[in-house]
Amino acid sequence: MEYILHIVIMICIYMVLVLSANLPVGMANLLTMCQAAFYGIGAYIGTFFLMQFDLPFILLAILVMGFTGLFSMIVSYASVKLKNDYFILGTLGFQMIAYTILYNWTDVTRGPYGIPGIPTIKLFGIVELEGVVGYCVLALAVAIVSIWLFRMIKSSPFGRVLKAMRSDELSVRALGRNTTLLKVQTFFISAAFSGLAGLIYSSYVSYVDPTSFTLDESIFIITALFIGGIGNVKGPVLGAVFVVILPELLRFVGLPDAVAANLRQIIYGVALVVVMFVRPQGLLGENSK
Amino acid sequence: MILNLKHIELSFTNSSREVFNLLNGVDLAVPKGKITALVGGNGTGKTTLFNVISGFQRDYKGKVVFEGKDIAGKSAHKIARLGIGRLFQGRQLMGNLTILENMMVASESRAGESPFTLLFHPQKITRKEEEKKNKAIQIFKDLFGEDCKYLEMLDCKASDLSYGEQRLIAIARLLMNAETKLLLLDEPTAGVNPVYIETIRNMIRKMVKERGLSVLLIEHNMHFVREIADCCAYLDDGVIEKFGTTSQVLDDKEVRNSYLGL
Repeated sequence: MEYILHIVIMICIYMVLVLSANLPVGMANLLTMCQAAFYGIGAYIGTFFLMQFDLPFILLAILVMGFTGLFSMIVSYASVKLKNDYFILGTLGFQMIAYTILYNWTDVTRGPYGIPGIPTIKLFGIVELEGVVGYCVLALAVAIVSIWLFRMIKSSPFGRVLKAMRSDELSVRALGRNTTLLKVQTFFISAAFSGLAGLIYSSYVSYVDPTSFTLDESIFIITALFIGGIGNVKGPVLGAVFVVILPELLRFVGLPDAVAANLRQIIYGVALVVVMFVRPQGLLGENSK
Repeated sequence: MILNLKHIELSFTNSSREVFNLLNGVDLAVPKGKITALVGGNGTGKTTLFNVISGFQRDYKGKVVFEGKDIAGKSAHKIARLGIGRLFQGRQLMGNLTILENMMVASESRAGESPFTLLFHPQKITRKEEEKKNKAIQIFKDLFGEDCKYLEMLDCKASDLSYGEQRLIAIARLLMNAETKLLLLDEPTAGVNPVYIETIRNMIRKMVKERGLSVLLIEHNMHFVREIADCCAYLDDGVIEKFGTTSQVLDDKEVRNSYLGL
């Protein structure tokens, strides 16, 4: 039972991550390769607050989201200054820098040794989350709220102007919209939710180290997004379910762990290529609600 | 005058590091409530001049005075909010949006376009959205008639429309901003069939006559220019060489020689 709950928690964490990536990538056409950097920043900031203060979850989440959101300003700046492929490379650079800092700033992050013994989240500053069940309930609640919020954003005037920007940024500016501000807001929300996912993850596994937030992880999140389908809410949800469940299914085939890990990467790659050929809009295209 | 361009100069440096002067001191006064055509050969800087006016080109010298205020150096979105609407050459509607969404995204009201207001003012946003929708419908009725087909196609993707139809709606979209006073139309009839050219002509006339808008348009279709424009400016070698009534300019010997090749 604990095993299934663990899978549910991981699905929920990835749902939040993929949904947050969908905002810039799927809705505003700003392909970012640094979602894992925000995930990691959120995890480390969350770890800091959890270890230093006894804060209720809501306040903790707001602080982690706010601080992680501030880091998104760097990417926002890049999105204004750099266009198309150069922007993608810029985000790639941010991802590498963030990872390198997390890995080498040992005084703060303990680098490759990681930070063990991260306290559990306290719901109202008093009630500690107990075991897998408690985290499952929290992760489900966060995932449901995220789905609701991103759904609301998609059907809102903000979502509409992002879609317009995806199609023709120049015309959107000529229609009186400040696209710089729109990008800043987009990246802020995206980074904030990735940071929230990082908070839940670090507290759930009670350990954090930089290897969970590598470029591979960013690619993994984007893969999930493109497999599920960009520009809607159902697509990222399905993508997250797919990428988390697939390796678990491989366990039952009885392959040795070393082979299964490599096979998993191959299957993700093949799945992405097949989806791009057969259904480039993803399993659930943009018109899905 | 609704717009005054005072000695606009703009130069580019090409890949060989040679300085190339595109605009050499453009002076132009666009009259209020009239249609002014800007004509000239390819590469003479007409679209660049539009970019200067609408804030997409900001590293120029000179003054751009709109309704008595110098707007030089302002960003494009701020200039649009002041009331200068722009139709781009060759650019169409946003194909991934519906016809109605294309109209609504052009409204002067930006209620709900900041994500942080979504949770706090849902009723206000819903009300504003309804107002935008009604305004879009009214614009379609005014421009294309009470029983126009676009009223039945509001939820269709803009990409489903033909090039000419997208052009019509892109022009109609400029009316969604209640602040708009001046329209910059860059080749509105390029690539459009004769029936829709007729519709565009009627639309522009209506906008000027009934809504009091001023229009500055770039056009290579001289027949269209003669029919619609009250005034005409001829841009050559980076300066306005001729300005006057449309027939004065287009019948000028020098213009006929150098631009029309007659």
